[in-house]
Amino acid sequence: MIAWLLLLLAFRHTPETHAVEIRGMEFHPAALTVAVGDTIVWVNRDIVPHTATAGGKMKWDTGQLLQGEAGRYVARRPGTARYSCALHPTMHGTLVIH
Amino acid sequence: MSRMKHPLLLGALALLSTAALQAQNAAPAAAPDLSDPEVAHVAVTANAVDIDMAKFAQTRTHNTAVKQFAATMITDHTAVNQQAAALATKLGVTPADNAVSQSLQSGAKEARAKLEPLHAAAFDRAYMDREVAYHQAVLDAIDKLLIPTTENAELRQLLTAVRPAVATHLEHAKQLRSQLGAEPRTGQ
Repeated sequence: MIAWLLLLLAFRHTPETHAVEIRGMEFHPAALTVAVGDTIVWVNRDIVPHTATAGGKMKWDTGQLLQGEAGRYVARRPGTARYSCALHPTMHGTLVIH
Repeated sequence: MSRMKHPLLLGALALLSTAALQAQNAAPAAAPDLSDPEVAHVAVTANAVDIDMAKFAQTRTHNTAVKQFAATMITDHTAVNQQAAALATKLGVTPADNAVSQSLQSGAKEARAKLEPLHAAAFDRAYMDREVAYHQAVLDAIDKLLIPTTENAELRQLLTAVRPAVATHLEHAKQLRSQLGAEPRTGQ
């Protein structure tokens, strides 16, 4: 039993935090792979406001982020989401959760 | 602050005067010299002109995407002008009115007059046509006129930081304009 618990602890993923910078009207990195339980933080470095917004099953919306502000999302289920800025629909990013 | 001439100045101004402002005779008689306070005034005016046009569009359009585009123009150009004002205060620079700013303002009046009688889809197409031309002209002016002639490093940095936003607006405007479709044939 103890050995089984130790094994479980060994393989359990420690949640990580990943930063995505929004600068020059782009998401950096544009594609990010994370694990379930991880947190993604978008930080806006641009003068103009942005959002990181996804529809579909993995729906999230950081809301408007002014310059220097950050928004976060905790990855809760596996999948791939293509997200965009609600204010600038030509800006796209991809989040892969496994 | 020294005043600089630039060979591309007249071309960029002519572009602003024709493509963006759709004014037939708005090109300045000669290439103006632009000091940094004048560049700052042009930048502030260019933002203000698009904010005013967007506010007008919001009162006229019923298209959700066009309304959203106009809202983004107001938000973004307001944010840029707040930064410009903060920088001017920091540098102790008072933006100085000049022929280019006046040309922008008179061109905006003409563009507004052309949009005034239009409604519904015809308005949306004409407004987005104008936004495509305007942002293309502003982008060209940033590249060929404003950044090259600006001497103050912080002002040049601000213009450089604003450039991607203008390019994104242009792409957004093109995309939206193409979704609105072609002008209906008049059947002559």
